[in-house]
Amino acid sequence: MADPVISLSKVTKRFGPVWANREVDLDLFPGRVHALLGENGAGKSTLMSILAGRYSADGGTMMMHGREVSFNSPAKALDHGIGMVYQRFMLIESMTVSENLALSAGKAHGRTGIDQVIHQTAERYGLGVDPEKRVFELSMGERQRVEIIKLLMLDAEVLIFDEPTSVLTPPEVDALFEVIDQLRAEGKTIVLITHKLEEVLKLADDISIMRKGRLVFSERIDARQMSRQQLARLMVGRDVVLRVDKKEVAVGETILALQGVSGDSPLGGPSYTDVTLEIKQGEIFSIIGVAGNGQVGLVSAITGLSQARSGTITFDGATYNAREWRMASREKIAYVPEDRYHSGSIGAMSIADNFALTRLAAYRSGMAGMVLDREKMAADGTRAIRDHNIKVESSEDSAGSLSGGNLQKVILARELTRNAKLFVAEQPTQGLDISATEEIWRALLECREKAAVLLVTGDLKEVLSLSDRIGVIFNGRILEIIDAHDSDQVDRVGLLMAGVRT
Amino acid sequence: MIEDLTFIAQISIKSSVAVLLATVGGIINERSGVLNLGIEGMMLVGALAGFAAGHFTGSPLLAVAAGALAGGMLSLVHAFFTIGLRSNQVLSGLALTILGTGLANFLGRPLIGQTGVRIRQLPVPYLADIPVIGDILFNQSPFAYAAYLLVPLAWFVLFQTRTGLILRAVGEDARSADVAGVNVPLTRTLSVFVGGLFAGLAGTYLSLSYTPGWKETMTGGQGWIAIAMIIFCFWNPLLAFFGALLFGGLTALQFFFQATSMDLIPSYVLKMLPYLLTIGVLVMVSASSKRRKSASPADLGVPFYREL
Repeated sequence: MADPVISLSKVTKRFGPVWANREVDLDLFPGRVHALLGENGAGKSTLMSILAGRYSADGGTMMMHGREVSFNSPAKALDHGIGMVYQRFMLIESMTVSENLALSAGKAHGRTGIDQVIHQTAERYGLGVDPEKRVFELSMGERQRVEIIKLLMLDAEVLIFDEPTSVLTPPEVDALFEVIDQLRAEGKTIVLITHKLEEVLKLADDISIMRKGRLVFSERIDARQMSRQQLARLMVGRDVVLRVDKKEVAVGETILALQGVSGDSPLGGPSYTDVTLEIKQGEIFSIIGVAGNGQVGLVSAITGLSQARSGTITFDGATYNAREWRMASREKIAYVPEDRYHSGSIGAMSIADNFALTRLAAYRSGMAGMVLDREKMAADGTRAIRDHNIKVESSEDSAGSLSGGNLQKVILARELTRNAKLFVAEQPTQGLDISATEEIWRALLECREKAAVLLVTGDLKEVLSLSDRIGVIFNGRILEIIDAHDSDQVDRVGLLMAGVRT
Repeated sequence: MIEDLTFIAQISIKSSVAVLLATVGGIINERSGVLNLGIEGMMLVGALAGFAAGHFTGSPLLAVAAGALAGGMLSLVHAFFTIGLRSNQVLSGLALTILGTGLANFLGRPLIGQTGVRIRQLPVPYLADIPVIGDILFNQSPFAYAAYLLVPLAWFVLFQTRTGLILRAVGEDARSADVAGVNVPLTRTLSVFVGGLFAGLAGTYLSLSYTPGWKETMTGGQGWIAIAMIIFCFWNPLLAFFGALLFGGLTALQFFFQATSMDLIPSYVLKMLPYLLTIGVLVMVSASSKRRKSASPADLGVPFYREL
């Protein structure tokens, strides 16, 4: 067995009172893909950011090729051949691909030679991308390719990928895996940070699992086959079964009905055309589609955040035209938006404040209702934290300090408390780990006992686990509405998402 | 008539040099993501230092160097607070203007009414003989010639060199630039310093060439005009040339109407015009760029932290 390229020993990192990493030992070998598994907030990204020089460790040592190293900046880590593709891509959006690459690798190649080097690297690894395009014009998959080219141009020896597939379409995922295979064959050291078990079983040679900042498992798996169940148990610390208990709920009257609704997305996104659908009390109605097929605009029209161009909307028996609905709707709908950091919460405010944000009327007191009942807000916030198993120190912590899963639970808890007749959830489990996903699914199913639920998502598994009826959106139109209980029909959902009608 | 127009054009350029230099300095500085509202203060300190150095040494070269350096040194105070301590850039910039103004007025008191070095108009051989154009463009102060060279140079460095790429990258997205291996604090500090040098030079032009001598608050708000010009010109030095000329033109018209006692437009209205124009242009720019990326550096005013 070859010697490790990187050897971490007792690496420790604290953020205030929180131990992000606690005495982590880890060896990385050349020519192997090392999967670093763990739930959200387990400390995987922090550990790798230390290796890539973005954070500095509070304790422990790092060895590279047997010599001790320490990096106080990403530049220094890059000099040693260690680079990271972050989850949030580190590219300057208003600049071209070639400018971005010149920024990091230009010193070695000069401005004129750079295009040729980009071309050669792209050719060699099948990473096609137009150097003259500006980054904001690129798809997420293309941006990722630019990041990879960036590291390859710097002759990186260790490449760290942080949740690389979370923003990719299935074909882009396959292409990425091919690139990773090729890099492995060339003897590079690859680290794959992920919580998707399929990826691990497909790609990894070595597996390490982190839980609450500690390394709980580290093995070479080609020696011994592992099952999904085993991995999931190690990751979460208990058995998880991703199967939901779906109670029979009697379907009631129609809560929301759209009739021929058309419009554009706010901020110039794709439009939606002639959408007609009904959502009844006691059911989960899913709208599924590949991102960018008009879902965003449709949801913003339903929640009243933007105004549809035409069509009528009936809510709880009353019928509105597009403009009337825009003025009327806010109070009647509970809404969990896709962007939990910016639309769903205010990061700088406390959990208790965020928890009260869409229901301020419930906390009126004193001076004709102008003063907020702070005590009640704090008490309700604390109760929500307990009831929904949200992992924080207190309800006074800022929402921005929460991990994605915990923040989503705060938002979900808040919206559930509103007891609205319609509950709209947009990509509610995107980027969340297994146990958070499980809890959110359970909450949505519970919600349908009292309300009509509209679930908008791109995740087929989520739709099949939860829905009663499924509307497939493609190119702004609902192609078909399928009964989720009819297993013959359900098989067609995937094809419909690609726009294929059979 | 043609004499009048030539005169107005010549005065326009003369009146635009200080704003032009300060604007270009501000553009360099803001392109790196640091907002500096202290331009007015740096100009005043530059004006005083330039004048004082000229007064005591008699050397024009030393005077210019002292003026520019004084602006640069004051800008380092801003760099220390905004980059070193990551404090609020608006507050620090405003404090810089107040500090610079107070400091210059206090230290400059003994120099009021004194004479120092004057840098006079210097016709460029041959070029100045070109009819009309020669008189307008090439019968100016050497400061104007320096500006003719510095403005395209600033554009070239910003948009055609690796240095400029690094500088703009830091202003657009400091975190990404950091990960790409750029030293963000150093880049920002140097940009702020260069911005300070330009502002100091602009002030020196006022006290050595435009209205030679030292008077309290002699910049008369030109530093603020420069801040508006930066936005007005989409952070592009070449456009700054036209923006500054517009300001100079309005100033020249004021002089012209005063000199000829023509009261076509009240001088107060003329003084207001650059500001009104700026507001108008800002409205137009933000209305038309709703769906496009605006020209403003995306990380302008955002302190850089590596760890969150």
